[in-house]
Amino acid sequence: MPVGPFGIDPLIWAPLRLVIAVGLALFLVLNGALLQIYLERKIQAIIQDRLGPYHVGPFGLLQTFADALKLISKEDVRAAATDGWFFVAAPALVFCPMLASWAVLPFAKDIVGTNLNIGLLYLTTLGSMTVLGIVIAGWASNNKYALVGGLRSAGQLISYEIPQILALVSVALVVGSLSMIDITRSQTGPFVNVLILPFSFLIYFIAALAETNRTPFDLPEAESELVAGWLTEYSGMRWGTMLALSEYGNVTVVCAIVTTLWFGGWQGPGVDAIPLLGVLWFTLKVYAFIVVMMWIRATLPRLRIDQLMSFCWKGLIPMALVNIVAVATLALAFPNTLVPIAIANWLLVVVFVAGIPFFQRRRLATLRARARASATPAVRAAS
Amino acid sequence: MTFDFVEPVVFAVLSIGVIAGGVAVVMLNRITAAALLMAFTFLSMAGMFVLLGAETIAAFQVLIYVGAITVLILYGVMFTKFSTSPRALFFQKQTPLAAVFVAAVAVPIVIVATLSFTGAPPRPGGGDLPALATSVFTDFAFPFEIASVLLLAAMVGAIVLTKRDDQEEAAARRRR
Amino acid sequence: MTVPLGAYIAVSAVLFFTGCAGVLVRRNAVVILMCVELMLNAANLALVAFSRKYGSIDERGSVFVIFVFVIAAAEVAVGLAIILSAYRNRPVVDVDEIHQMKG
Repeated sequence: MPVGPFGIDPLIWAPLRLVIAVGLALFLVLNGALLQIYLERKIQAIIQDRLGPYHVGPFGLLQTFADALKLISKEDVRAAATDGWFFVAAPALVFCPMLASWAVLPFAKDIVGTNLNIGLLYLTTLGSMTVLGIVIAGWASNNKYALVGGLRSAGQLISYEIPQILALVSVALVVGSLSMIDITRSQTGPFVNVLILPFSFLIYFIAALAETNRTPFDLPEAESELVAGWLTEYSGMRWGTMLALSEYGNVTVVCAIVTTLWFGGWQGPGVDAIPLLGVLWFTLKVYAFIVVMMWIRATLPRLRIDQLMSFCWKGLIPMALVNIVAVATLALAFPNTLVPIAIANWLLVVVFVAGIPFFQRRRLATLRARARASATPAVRAAS
Repeated sequence: MTFDFVEPVVFAVLSIGVIAGGVAVVMLNRITAAALLMAFTFLSMAGMFVLLGAETIAAFQVLIYVGAITVLILYGVMFTKFSTSPRALFFQKQTPLAAVFVAAVAVPIVIVATLSFTGAPPRPGGGDLPALATSVFTDFAFPFEIASVLLLAAMVGAIVLTKRDDQEEAAARRRR
Repeated sequence: MTVPLGAYIAVSAVLFFTGCAGVLVRRNAVVILMCVELMLNAANLALVAFSRKYGSIDERGSVFVIFVFVIAAAEVAVGLAIILSAYRNRPVVDVDEIHQMKG
């Protein structure tokens, strides 16, 4: 009798693996949304010196549960002038690609939906499908705030996909595979990819913040200018599906990609002895990045739409291209060692971090000059 | 128990999706609905590519057609005004001519294609990515570069075409 | 029981001629662009199917599909730019009414 993973018959293991993977995905997405909303409130409260939710349940843990119950029991409101079918279809179009991404994310050794050999390409593909749902939602709402929010969001997502994919390419160049499992396997030991490719991690993480509509890139739903962006007309569980499930699900997916590609995925101490420990390591790493994203949200102010676009097209994309050229050249020149790539990448990080204050000062100077030039004589006299 | 029946069933469902979506794009008067159904056609087509064992092509299909082209076309729909009142599609003078022409060419081709290629395409294992990549970057490296120049030209052309003249833009800014 | 190659080619032909009929019949420029995309996609299906049946190990047929993707993306970008700039001159998208090619 052939023995599969964990000493189970492979024939039984195949369906069992699917059940475990689907169960974990649902657990992480559905409970994850509840947990992450709670975490988001608590972390923001701590940073802003408030208490946060504390009434319902111990430490307010059941607050989001109560909120979810409220959302489910809400009346299904649909404004009269909305575009019937599209309005209903949009939440599904946003939700489904996010859920489908979980098929290729490895939770632990052998606990993965499927070992797709184009796993990374599949994930980027699903990421690009979300745009369609958002544009449709903005259009179907028949509301100017929703439409502008939807168009903004589409422009933002399409733009930020490019640096994201370019950052992924550099990892694929180093690892030599697009399969998520191979990428995880290539990072045994303490030398995870982030030590070799910190610059592509930086680019990916910044682009991922924009891709998941997190502050400082949450323009599409900027409350102060667009009410709630493309979500304006949605309420009840449709809103819950779109915002809570899809947005937090996408955050989780992006953090899982970061974990798998740059931080060794499920690998960690003790995994060889107890393979199921991989799930714990994976979840811990993913939640570490989610907490970082929340920290960023509580820290940084929101950008303006033109700043957002010019940062992507003039900043991130050229940097990502430089990164790819450097990594590809060095990978060809030194096929046996990764040290030159690591050195080049760390140098790029240093240049990037050191360059920010320089560019900021130059930008401020031009802004002041423009303000002085365009000011009316009266203002100039007053100042 | 075998699962041989799965492939023809999936193929039938996908082909119905492809053709129904295509027909709907041609027939529907609501352009947003047509665009969404076009995306549906492209998705079904990606399923067909997966069925043929070309997963990489399927992924590119979804990435480019659903993620980029459909969104671009939706932008085009939103930026132009179009009449939502039903236009008499079936009473234009070119409709019968087009129908006759299309039927005269399509029916023989469909019949010939169905009858002549009866062998099943082989299902390769291991995916098509390495072979595809090797081909693109060795034998087709020069066409690949030409294609990238074409894309650059298209990008510049689109920007130049949609950019307003300076006077217009200045006028628009003054109005604001 | 597997699906014969002819079935793929037949679906491809039907989709191609559906798109062809759309180009001939419809008057809205955006819809015409959509129908051209359908035709290109039908050609892709035929290319992939033939590449599977007759292609060598190096996937030459599929390479052409990638070039078709490039052409399709470029075509939509330029086509929509032309439609938008024509629309800016006169707010119509019906190709019957865009018959003046001046200014």
